[in-house]
Amino acid sequence: MAERVHMSGIGKRFGETVALAGVDFTAARGEIHGLLGENGAGKTTLMNVLSGLYRADRGQIAIDGVAAAISAPSDALRHGIGMVHQHVELIPTFSALENVLLGREGGRLWLRPERHREDIEALAARFGLALDLDVEVRRLAVGVQQKVEILRSLYRGVGILILDEPTTMLTPQEVDTLFGTLRAMADQGLTVVFITHKIREILANCDRVTVMRGGLQVATLARAEMDEGRLIELMIGERLQSSSPIAQASSGDVVLDVRDLAVQGERGRPVLADCTFRVGAGEVVGVAGVAGNGQRELADALAGALRPAGGRILLGGRDVTAASVRTRIAAGLVVIPEDRIADGLLPGLSVAENLVLGLHPFAFGGGLSFDRGRARALAREAIAEYAIRARSEDAMAVELSGGNIQKVLVARAMAQARAVGGRLLVATNPTRGLDVRATEFVRRRCLAFAEAGGGVLLFSEDLDELRQLCHRIVVMFRGAIVADFRRERFDPYAIGRLMAGAANPAAP
Amino acid sequence: MSAESRPAVAEAVVVPVRSGGRSRVTTAVLTYVVAVALAAAVSALFILAMRGDVALAFRTILSSSLGSVAGIAQTLNKISPLLLGSMAVMLARQGGFFNIGVDGQMYAGAIVATGLAFAVGGALPLVLMLPLALLAGFAGGAALGAVPGALRARWGVNEIFVTVMLNFIAYYLTEWVATGPWNDPITGEAITRVLPESATLPMLLPAAGAHAGVLIALVMSAAVAVLLGRTLLGYEIRTVGDNPRAATLGGVRLGRITLVTLALSGALAGLAGAIEVVGYHNRLILGLTPGYGAMAILIAVLGRMHPIGVAVASALVAVLMVGADSLQRSVKLPASAGAVFQAIVVLCVLLVEARAARRARG
Repeated sequence: MAERVHMSGIGKRFGETVALAGVDFTAARGEIHGLLGENGAGKTTLMNVLSGLYRADRGQIAIDGVAAAISAPSDALRHGIGMVHQHVELIPTFSALENVLLGREGGRLWLRPERHREDIEALAARFGLALDLDVEVRRLAVGVQQKVEILRSLYRGVGILILDEPTTMLTPQEVDTLFGTLRAMADQGLTVVFITHKIREILANCDRVTVMRGGLQVATLARAEMDEGRLIELMIGERLQSSSPIAQASSGDVVLDVRDLAVQGERGRPVLADCTFRVGAGEVVGVAGVAGNGQRELADALAGALRPAGGRILLGGRDVTAASVRTRIAAGLVVIPEDRIADGLLPGLSVAENLVLGLHPFAFGGGLSFDRGRARALAREAIAEYAIRARSEDAMAVELSGGNIQKVLVARAMAQARAVGGRLLVATNPTRGLDVRATEFVRRRCLAFAEAGGGVLLFSEDLDELRQLCHRIVVMFRGAIVADFRRERFDPYAIGRLMAGAANPAAP
Repeated sequence: MSAESRPAVAEAVVVPVRSGGRSRVTTAVLTYVVAVALAAAVSALFILAMRGDVALAFRTILSSSLGSVAGIAQTLNKISPLLLGSMAVMLARQGGFFNIGVDGQMYAGAIVATGLAFAVGGALPLVLMLPLALLAGFAGGAALGAVPGALRARWGVNEIFVTVMLNFIAYYLTEWVATGPWNDPITGEAITRVLPESATLPMLLPAAGAHAGVLIALVMSAAVAVLLGRTLLGYEIRTVGDNPRAATLGGVRLGRITLVTLALSGALAGLAGAIEVVGYHNRLILGLTPGYGAMAILIAVLGRMHPIGVAVASALVAVLMVGADSLQRSVKLPASAGAVFQAIVVLCVLLVEARAARRARG
């Protein structure tokens, strides 16, 4: 195998945080090279250095054996290096074709997309990237948008393609298609670097894997040397039983009863239509679906941040359809929001002030004063219990890392539940961005909520997580609940087909 | 939806702020010392360019504003509207709003206070009339501040436009009452008759002409600091200012907080207007505020939207404003030189702050 990428001794600090502490990394021609590690291990940072987004503090990069100075994405592109980031970076109102051409027509006055159409179509066919080039990108499914990004990199002549957690938002079918494409690229001599924290994907698809931990490269293994136990051990530095034993759902009471819930979106288009489902006491119900199929609106309508156009929401038998957020919290409905920064964080306030949000009407004895001492005491407890890494409870929340922000939001919801007697937990991607240990911790918290007699509605992009934790999984597609699976009937491919819009064969 | 990219935000949040060594307060103070030194240097260059005497100019600014009892009195009288106005801007800003309507709210407070004094002032003793007049100013400002608050809460109308428009309405309303029903015919200008005796603010330095308004301003500033830091309402205002969506999901009633915050902000400005009437002019005049509203915004920015910072910045700007008036006489600089100095100070502070923030990010 001809070595294409050789990085040695790469170091990178952000302020006082050491992100990379002298990392070596190599990738060869014609391989799919997995880059495995927990969040915060430095995987993305290392690849951002290779793709010119960050400049390393020290270390060397050689491409095809020749030292390369890469200090901007344009330098990386000159060396044939391209990166597809975790969040799609396309212009939503441009067509796929225009997006592929973006940045290629530099210097010329007129765009002539048609000139390039044949070349692009040929390229797409060569790598199995079937898609309609004339559709506006925002109308495409996430999996297809990703194809547009890959195509854009290929059309720029990229020979070393880096993909950062590319499977997060995809259905199982789309994941299979993606790996088909990546294999075709490797077979035709490209180098594919694939960043992930999912060991299963590494085992199924990668020729080699480099494992990172705490800003260091800890091992590089060939396919024959890989096994699940060993990879977990390398990744987290110890053996950890990662099973979340699921408790039997206590039958009986219904904590959440949603009937024909409807929400109007912009221009009166329904984003939620005839949503009907129940969550029982002691039950964990998962909501599967490709992002953008109404999950956010459903979670918002339940939380009380969005006024439904029709239907009813009953919480423990009580109609809360028109109730305020505060009333719902008082009635035992707590939320871990989807986007921790946009929906949850108060960046300019202290960790303590962040932790008491939502709890504040109940935590201070009903008076008018904001008891800072009490808020700080509550915060100290939460910091200890959830192992939140903050300088102190007075530190500004903006200083926290993503995983610690997530812990704050989980701690906040659980504190509310404790204060008011939690009945329903609505959690969206509660473990996203957490390391293995913190993920386990949060999952146990969610399960404990159910074991204590509450109901849990779990929205997750990670189908494996839903299958592991839930008693039931409902599938959302275009604003409706299209299927309801009991645990013994969980089948990722059947669920995946419904997520992608196939008709439900089991439906009446 | 899915095509939007958030990594820039995420990155800005994830990168830790350097915290080692100096405390945050020390860093802030140091930043200001550097900024003021820089501002002095740039101002000196400006004076030189105008062929003025630098040392004399600086000495004049300080001696006229702080070098005599009369100067100090003038400075204290200036602090009162500047401090209350900038507290109004700061309070709104803490809730995430821009109150550009301080001038209008000052006029509104002044009109209501004046009207009340004319209506009942003759019959009431000072101990009743004075608090009533101040309260009237507070209420008048609150009423004008509630308008953008209600429009924003109900229909999402941008409060910047509404407050700017209300400035015109309050200004011309003042012109009407000062030239029409309450006009003092002797002056021949847009000035009302003198208020009754009972609606007069006591003096702090009687001989030098400093009224007690600065004390009221200081007490109100402390009250605002307590409100923001130690009450549930203040906490909710800050959550809305920091992240309205997170606040909403946390059970904070966005509409109510919007209305209350802008009304309270207007009330502070209205109180300033009433103080100008009962303390300084003893009547309502059309030039009641020579652009205090704009200065208040600059002061709130200079003071980093922090009560103590805003108080210090108010004093600094009051010194500059009083000092600049006398530059014309002694150093023969144009009167607008004072405004130039203020602008230089603001720009220097913003520049040094931006540099410091950038360095902290590494």
